[in-house]
Amino acid sequence: MAAPIVETAELRKTYILGKVPVNALCGVNLKVEKGDFIAILGPSGSGKSTLINMIGALDKPTEGKVLINGVDVSTLNDNQLADLRRSIGFVFQFFNLIPRLSARGNVELTLAIADLGKTERRKRAEELLETVGLKERMNHKPAELSGGERQRVAIARALANNPRFLLMDEPTGNIDSKTAKEIMDLVKQLNEDKGVTIIMITHDQHLATQAKRIVKMLDGTIIKEIDQR
Amino acid sequence: MKVGDVFSYAFGAIRLRKLRAGLTTLGVVIGIAAIVALLSISQGLQTTITDQLQSGFATDTLIVSPGSGGGIFSGVRGGIGGSSSDFSLVVTDTQIINEIGNVVTSAAVIQEVGYVQSGDRNVTAYVVGVDFGVYSEIYGGTFVAESGEIVPNPENGTVVVGKRISDPWKNGTIVCSVNDTVEIIWTNTTVRPPTNETYSFTVAAVLEEVGGLSLTGPSDSAVYIPIQQAQSIFGTDECDRIIVKIANEDSATIDAVSKAIEDAFSGQVSVTSSTAVLSIISRVFSTIELFLAGIAAISLLVAGVGIMNIMIVSLMERTREIGILKALGMKSRTVLAIFISEAVIVGLMGAIFGIGLGWVLANVAARVFTGGGFAAATGQGASSGGFVITPVLTPTVLLGAFGFGIAVSVIFAIYPAWRASKLKPVDALRYE
Repeated sequence: MAAPIVETAELRKTYILGKVPVNALCGVNLKVEKGDFIAILGPSGSGKSTLINMIGALDKPTEGKVLINGVDVSTLNDNQLADLRRSIGFVFQFFNLIPRLSARGNVELTLAIADLGKTERRKRAEELLETVGLKERMNHKPAELSGGERQRVAIARALANNPRFLLMDEPTGNIDSKTAKEIMDLVKQLNEDKGVTIIMITHDQHLATQAKRIVKMLDGTIIKEIDQR
Repeated sequence: MKVGDVFSYAFGAIRLRKLRAGLTTLGVVIGIAAIVALLSISQGLQTTITDQLQSGFATDTLIVSPGSGGGIFSGVRGGIGGSSSDFSLVVTDTQIINEIGNVVTSAAVIQEVGYVQSGDRNVTAYVVGVDFGVYSEIYGGTFVAESGEIVPNPENGTVVVGKRISDPWKNGTIVCSVNDTVEIIWTNTTVRPPTNETYSFTVAAVLEEVGGLSLTGPSDSAVYIPIQQAQSIFGTDECDRIIVKIANEDSATIDAVSKAIEDAFSGQVSVTSSTAVLSIISRVFSTIELFLAGIAAISLLVAGVGIMNIMIVSLMERTREIGILKALGMKSRTVLAIFISEAVIVGLMGAIFGIGLGWVLANVAARVFTGGGFAAATGQGASSGGFVITPVLTPTVLLGAFGFGIAVSVIFAIYPAWRASKLKPVDALRYE
């Protein structure tokens, strides 16, 4: 059997807030197979954002391991980590688009970081924005787009480099419920039709039910895993 | 990320904060402009002085003056500086010098200070005794009559006057012109009490204007009388200096002839070549330029500190952006390159505009100097001739200013850029 796309082993993370150590993660073991759609559900402070930052190689664990395609992230140097991040698609709650770039510019930037040529970049960015239904709005800057549109841009950007998996941190947390449904439909469609592996954080019980698996977290540990397939 | 993409990203970031980038660039512009303006003015001044010296004293001449030190500058003052030595050059010493190989000819010069009186007008002048024929052979370019005629073997009582003696105030008030009779008054200090002696001369020629600076050659503020008459008026055979025309301007020839002359007088004379004087002047100017460039460089360093300050502030503002870039898989060295590129762009623009502004300033300043202030300041006595400074922008200054502007910008950007590149993505993304 192939190695899981993501695997964490006894993952711990301790922050020092002021002088008090805070255990954000207290030994998390999680396996994500290719094609999975996992919703990590839990209240704020349960450690789900910390977990996703570890999986996305944005932060380093205090103890334990993160394996991506069987490779221990902690053994990678700065450049290798950058390469790894390029193979992961991030979607953030607050979009995190570059404000001075247009929708297309934001997607193209990701492709430029991956050293893609100018014409290919433009073609691919336009295709991606068409996929997320933003073909007509691609020359607008983030400030000229609605929350839902911005998140679509963020999804297009996350998909740009054909990532191994998508990490979504409350992707609908900042969007009205109607648009949130559209976004969720898009995410599901990506998972089902294109086989994109998705790990999504949410504190919304209803949204979590759309996923194939639900992982419930509380106080830095996984308290329950529900398989909905 | 490709170099072109790094630059276009950096350029976009600069364009976003136009005023701030503009002010940062202004610092560099001022620094570069100061360097370019000061250096091109001082190089222009050097060129002007060198040109005037060359026209005023012919580069194929050597000046022999008595004494083993002092050189030409004691000669100019009528031998005052050189009088510590018992040795004197006499007029007939030209014969010894003319024997030496590669010497074309030589002219003895007797020089005193006196007055030229014409009617009730009276002008201070150097009274110079020379052999007109030889002197005009040596100074073919400057000992030239504007009006009248310089004859090789004139009668006693013939005088050739410099332009500033004929027209001292440059306003058409003529003290004397050709065929006028003037009186030359010389104070004889060899008798007690000193007495004023007055001699009558007829103006044979007025010289063309020589220009501002003539240390040993024909001067606008001198009158020239036949050497035999100078000997009898001043009651001496001693001359202040002997001007030697040599066959060519090779430094080998100059050295060989200088050595031969010194040997011929047993080391009792000093021989100065005009080339040597020019090289002294250029050395003096190099020092001045270094000093000026140093002052200007300080303003550029201040601009550098400004760049660093602004970049650190903008680093705070852009922490989140850096976090995003890193989350998208940008390498630390690319983040570094983006920040350095921004500094390169600021430095490049600053250098281009600074060079332009500096050049404009240099020309404005040159015009101000030439038109009024500077000419008046140096206009006393001998050097009131047309003194025109044309700023010179050498490729060295141009490239130097360019390189220095960019280098300062980049050096002061290294620290902020390094800090940006070291940001941890998770911290940067969390930054509000």
